[in-house]
Amino acid sequence: MTPDLLIQSTIIGLSIGSIYILMALGLTLMFGMMHIINFAHGAIYMLGAFAIYYIFSQWGAPYFAAFVLAMLLLGTFGYLVERSIYRAVKGGIEPTLVALLALTTFLQAAGYPVFGQLDKHVPPVFHGTRNVLGVMISVERLMIIPMAGALVVGLNLFINKTKMGAAMRAIEQDKEAAALQGVNVHVVNGLAFAIGFALAAASGALMAPIFKLDPMMGEQPLLKAFIIIILGGLGSIPGAILGGLMLGLIDSIVATALGAEPAFLLSFVFIILLLLFKPTGLFGYAPP
Amino acid sequence: MLEVKDLRVRYGTVEAVKGLSFQVPTGAIVSLIGANGAGKTTSLRALTGLVRPSGGEVRFENALLNGLAPHDIVRLGIALVPEGRRLFPKMTVLENLRMGAYLQTSKADVASTLEMIYQHFPILRERGRQRAGSLSGGEQQMLAIARALMNRPKLLLLDEPSMGLSPIMTAEIGKIIRQINALNVSIILVEQNAMLALTLAQYGYVLETGTLMLQGKAEELLRDEGVKKAYLGI
Repeated sequence: MTPDLLIQSTIIGLSIGSIYILMALGLTLMFGMMHIINFAHGAIYMLGAFAIYYIFSQWGAPYFAAFVLAMLLLGTFGYLVERSIYRAVKGGIEPTLVALLALTTFLQAAGYPVFGQLDKHVPPVFHGTRNVLGVMISVERLMIIPMAGALVVGLNLFINKTKMGAAMRAIEQDKEAAALQGVNVHVVNGLAFAIGFALAAASGALMAPIFKLDPMMGEQPLLKAFIIIILGGLGSIPGAILGGLMLGLIDSIVATALGAEPAFLLSFVFIILLLLFKPTGLFGYAPP
Repeated sequence: MLEVKDLRVRYGTVEAVKGLSFQVPTGAIVSLIGANGAGKTTSLRALTGLVRPSGGEVRFENALLNGLAPHDIVRLGIALVPEGRRLFPKMTVLENLRMGAYLQTSKADVASTLEMIYQHFPILRERGRQRAGSLSGGEQQMLAIARALMNRPKLLLLDEPSMGLSPIMTAEIGKIIRQINALNVSIILVEQNAMLALTLAQYGYVLETGTLMLQGKAEELLRDEGVKKAYLGI
């Protein structure tokens, strides 16, 4: 591999990694607080991409406005899913998982007649290429890094510096004790659903100008996000960030050097090895 | 202040509390004693909304508590220091205290409560930046009590505060409970250490497998032959 190719695949890896991180953050947040795996995360990614298609490229809204609107709409949808599905099953873990799987299947199946398959694409938002360390990279790919980065920083500030964020951390550590301090656990769980859904929508919205849109387009990033949160430690936010970066880089660099299939295989070999030596993942901890 | 009438709590087919009645006058320390499985912890969980009573009535300053969520009950001025402390282990001591003041909206009030807490528990000021999980058992118990006080409760429920503590630390906790009571906070003290409970309380209730066996002034219970034999080990 030439140095130029290494630089290029590293930068592409960072941009893919940023998407993985956004996906994984919501998953790990929801898992940490409610011990559920949000299977619908991939479907929400897909809806985020289609939201950009309609709001930006069909109705002509500015890209940033469409981006924010997609996050708001799907974030609200997340809150409503907590209010309806999660509360209806009284927070039971297994019934929630089954309901989320059903929701996923429904959204994807409805996607074919409503959105169509691989026949829509979003025109480029950022044009041209830019010279980075002597290598030309498309600005479209490059812009993903600061935009995702801003969301990651924003989420961390929210969780570590605000009262609501403290309530989320409290629920993650002891739900009953949080309720005993006066935290309305339902509302804060709903907020976690909203944040998770909004971040998944943001990932889809960022990738929309790069790939053709398809109702099943969220499955691949969902699978990657699962790998990342296991790698980083279930429920850990720093773990999701580090895991996402690692997986993005492995994907891109190994895929450039050896091809896409070995890269996919290697990510699993990597996770098996890591879990052999640290079963709780990078930042995970076994509850006492 | 608190009136419990015929409280019943059911876990599946098992009735853990079978018609318990007791009351807490304003300013009093009332203690519930009894062996493991007597229904003491379950009663406190029912009073704070962590479990729903299956029957009976709980009234606090004439408001009916049955069916209220824990966060609504905390708002009325009842705080529980749960069995096993249940701190937020990954948060610092100060963050734990701030969580206790979650419902307080005035920053000035929180700051003055915090100052008051530090006067009673100087060790917590020293340990402010340390993670709660790294404190010793006694310090954790102090933090758990302090966290509950951050919301300025009128009624404080203490579940086994002496559990796992050394005799010296237990005596210290006893002193703290008296100090809190002197600040005009009514207290329900649940203890397996009946000697500690009955020395602190004015009134005691003895529970056995979910029902009330005996009640009376604490000093009378301390002299009662049955209580001596079963709970005081004399």
